[in-house]
Amino acid sequence: MNVSLFITCLGDHFYPNAGRATVELLERFDCDVDFPATQTCCGQPAFNSGYHKDAKKAAKQTITAFQESEYVVTPSGSCAAMLHEYSHLLSDDKEWEQKAEALAEKTFEVTEFLVNVLGVEDTGARFQGTATYHTSCHMTRLLGVKDAPMKLLENVKGLEMIDLPNKHDCCGFGGTFAVKMPQISTEMVQEKADCVRETNADILIGADAGCLMNIGGKLSREKSGVRVMHITEVLNHQ
Amino acid sequence: MSRGTVQNRTSFLNNIAEKMGRARVDHVERPVYKHRPQWEVYADATADELLDVFKEQCQHIHTDVIEVEKSGVARAVAETFGRYQAESYLMWDDPRLKDVGLDDRFQEQMKQLDVDTFIWNPVSDDNIRVAEQATVGITYSDMTLAESGTVVLFSSSEKGRAVSLLPETYIAIIPKSSLVPRMTQATYEIHQRVENGERLPSCINFISGPSNSADIEMSLVVGVHGPVKATYIVFDDE
Amino acid sequence: MPLRVGSDAFAERVDTGLEDAFMRGAVRSAQERLRERKHTSSEQLGDWEAWRDHGEEIRTHTLNHLDYYLEQLSDNIAEMGGHVFFAETAEEANAYVREVARKKEAKKIVKSKSMVTEEISLNEVLEADGREVIETDLGEYILQIDDHDPPSHIVAPALHKNRSQIRDVFTERKGYSKTDDPDELTRFAREQLRQEFLDADLGITGCNFAVAESGSISLVTNEGNARLVSALPKTQVTVMGMERIVPTWEELDVLVSLLCRSAVGQKLTSYITGLTGPKTEGEVDGPEEFHLVIVDNGRSKILGTQFQSALHCIRCAACVNVCPVYRHVGGHAYGSIYNGPIGAVLTPLLDGYENNKDLPYASSLCAACTEACPVKIPLHEHLIAHRQIITEKEKLGSMPERWSMRLFGTGVSRSKLYRLASKNAHLALKPWTKGDRISSGPSLIKEWTRSRDLPAPSRDRFRDWWMRRGKGEGQDE
Repeated sequence: MNVSLFITCLGDHFYPNAGRATVELLERFDCDVDFPATQTCCGQPAFNSGYHKDAKKAAKQTITAFQESEYVVTPSGSCAAMLHEYSHLLSDDKEWEQKAEALAEKTFEVTEFLVNVLGVEDTGARFQGTATYHTSCHMTRLLGVKDAPMKLLENVKGLEMIDLPNKHDCCGFGGTFAVKMPQISTEMVQEKADCVRETNADILIGADAGCLMNIGGKLSREKSGVRVMHITEVLNHQ
Repeated sequence: MSRGTVQNRTSFLNNIAEKMGRARVDHVERPVYKHRPQWEVYADATADELLDVFKEQCQHIHTDVIEVEKSGVARAVAETFGRYQAESYLMWDDPRLKDVGLDDRFQEQMKQLDVDTFIWNPVSDDNIRVAEQATVGITYSDMTLAESGTVVLFSSSEKGRAVSLLPETYIAIIPKSSLVPRMTQATYEIHQRVENGERLPSCINFISGPSNSADIEMSLVVGVHGPVKATYIVFDDE
Repeated sequence: MPLRVGSDAFAERVDTGLEDAFMRGAVRSAQERLRERKHTSSEQLGDWEAWRDHGEEIRTHTLNHLDYYLEQLSDNIAEMGGHVFFAETAEEANAYVREVARKKEAKKIVKSKSMVTEEISLNEVLEADGREVIETDLGEYILQIDDHDPPSHIVAPALHKNRSQIRDVFTERKGYSKTDDPDELTRFAREQLRQEFLDADLGITGCNFAVAESGSISLVTNEGNARLVSALPKTQVTVMGMERIVPTWEELDVLVSLLCRSAVGQKLTSYITGLTGPKTEGEVDGPEEFHLVIVDNGRSKILGTQFQSALHCIRCAACVNVCPVYRHVGGHAYGSIYNGPIGAVLTPLLDGYENNKDLPYASSLCAACTEACPVKIPLHEHLIAHRQIITEKEKLGSMPERWSMRLFGTGVSRSKLYRLASKNAHLALKPWTKGDRISSGPSLIKEWTRSRDLPAPSRDRFRDWWMRRGKGEGQDE
């Protein structure tokens, strides 16, 4: 199976380990992974801020970069959801709209891909520790991926999962929201960090770099000692 | 009854049609809806099962339920008067109430106990004052909804709205055969009346327990502008 | 009270909200309680998603044929001797009601809760005409006697006040002398208001849904005040937003079921009251005269646009109750009587962008609102659409933001440029980097690092690793 990795801009720069783990996981399950060099950003910062002309440029760039791919897999629920949004964004141009639909059909968030396409629920990972999982909003509500991450995490040997209180609440990242409405964002991430600490877990696991930067940044500022990991790092751990 | 007035309509509605980008239409067919989940709720429940649902729900809405044989209704009412320390009661001028024993003899008995009887009287000016001062209001339930613990009252000249509203406490007399699963069955029947060209009663009330409010700190207070307490007396009429 | 309330700038209102510890505690506990109750009561309905789908298809059909159903409604009401006035503007609606009150020489007017009358400032108009207007919903009553404090929640207008504040208001304004126990406070309000109902010459109600087929209006309440307002005064005026209508009683069932569960987690509220025309021959209670005022006030501008589904709103506040932004800033921060996510969508539509351009940004786009909406309004998508209009059409975005987005658009559409910037990202931020993190950064990053650290961009990006792995793609040029 040929899989193209969409690393995402945050993943590339802030969580390169998640990208590496994704590649290794996919290869372990017999995927032939490639990395189209012309990929950039999914365009979400511009799209969510209302700059749709600029977002369209990013959309077209991404569509073109992955035009030849059989599957596109990304370690981000939020960016995967954005790729699914392209066909609406480009709906005033039939040709691009069709290309966007084709991209959406073959694009998957990595845990969704593992569980629903590859049929993998146990990656054979081992990880000693207690962890709690943050469900990111875009992954659950926009992309509709709700169960795959927990299915995979439950099968990690040695890992004890603790339910995160108020997990349905947003962490306050919201892309540009975090810098446009910093006070409100701060209150939201404070609440989330408090919930994480309440679990006494050693590790906070997430499937979106944005949320992890945000909650991790708060936990780091508070010198909480809680380690933040992308889900692929845990699933790839031996 | 003289026809009422309608003002400003044409330009108002033309504007709506224009904004919708179409001409005004003479006829609209109600669609065949794709979803009809309301008909599935308690669809196969027996009368006894519906009664169980009803009683369970009444616990949540602060309403006492008394189950009796038809011959026991009057006694149950009298006992409820005792609990409510009734000095007087007001009831609909409804043959169905007489039929379950709230008749002349009952009124006589109440008089012995210093409980005054008032019957809603279409030709008197005094109803509202009486209703305001009566301790208990009594009505018959025209339809009864199991799911929500609701009695449905159709107003008429003999069946005043104030009886279930102004007295401090309220008793509804409910024949078991009037139980239906939920609001769906009641609104269906009302819809059928409209289809048959009937004019609806000027007031149809769906009453579920005593009045309440949570406007102060979301803390539930039972008894605001309507009755403070409510009792449903369900009798077996089969 | 007009649609827009308060004069402070958005940022100041947010500050005020964030500093109000009581309000935030009250909102938080209310949200938690309602979430739980809604969850339980929705589950008991069976397939909640099928219910939402049904709600959506009913609202879509009705709004698409709104003129037809409003015509049917008004014909049916006139047939029964009621009067219907179609008001394109707030002024027309207010003038009509003022005229009815004058004709009836109404000294005392009792009112049950109605958002649309808040929106058009009806009370002010009637009061200026020398009439006493009494709000009878407990929450509205509290706000009214506290110098017209604006509502902060669509369903629970006095949510921002605590019991001791309410006791003080009752004591100062109404001579109350008991404790701050909600039962006692409520009992007092009941006693205060009972005589007002009996004395009132005119009753004004809102309308949850009108029913076209029978010319009925419905009121969904718990306190019983709307029943009193519609049963006792000789004249009743009902004011409805033009979109608050269903074709038949069958659709009423579905929307009322969705409303009660979504708003307060009840299967049905204590009273669902269907009123059809004035009282009939021989009836003792109920109004002799019935007037329905159907208000546009900017709603028709929304029809036929990408925002049409905003008119599907049934005012349940489910979106408000799940919104984390609302939880922290409270209702007053929105500066509109419509607050929370639906307020952020509706207010700019009804009142324009100029004064409300911050509202669509008061969301992390977490989509909890969209998920909660019982009639499936895509609220977060509407917020994004607003942002697009604000930035691209109204050009109300700041210059630095516009430039950075233009730069972004250029950067991400030219992969060489992107890779160049990418490669140098860690260098650009080097002066602020300590170890693996940035604790105090420049410009926009400063806003971030005020309260949290930012991981430093990795010197060894994914791309670098990939290149070393020898597959030969993705390298920098």
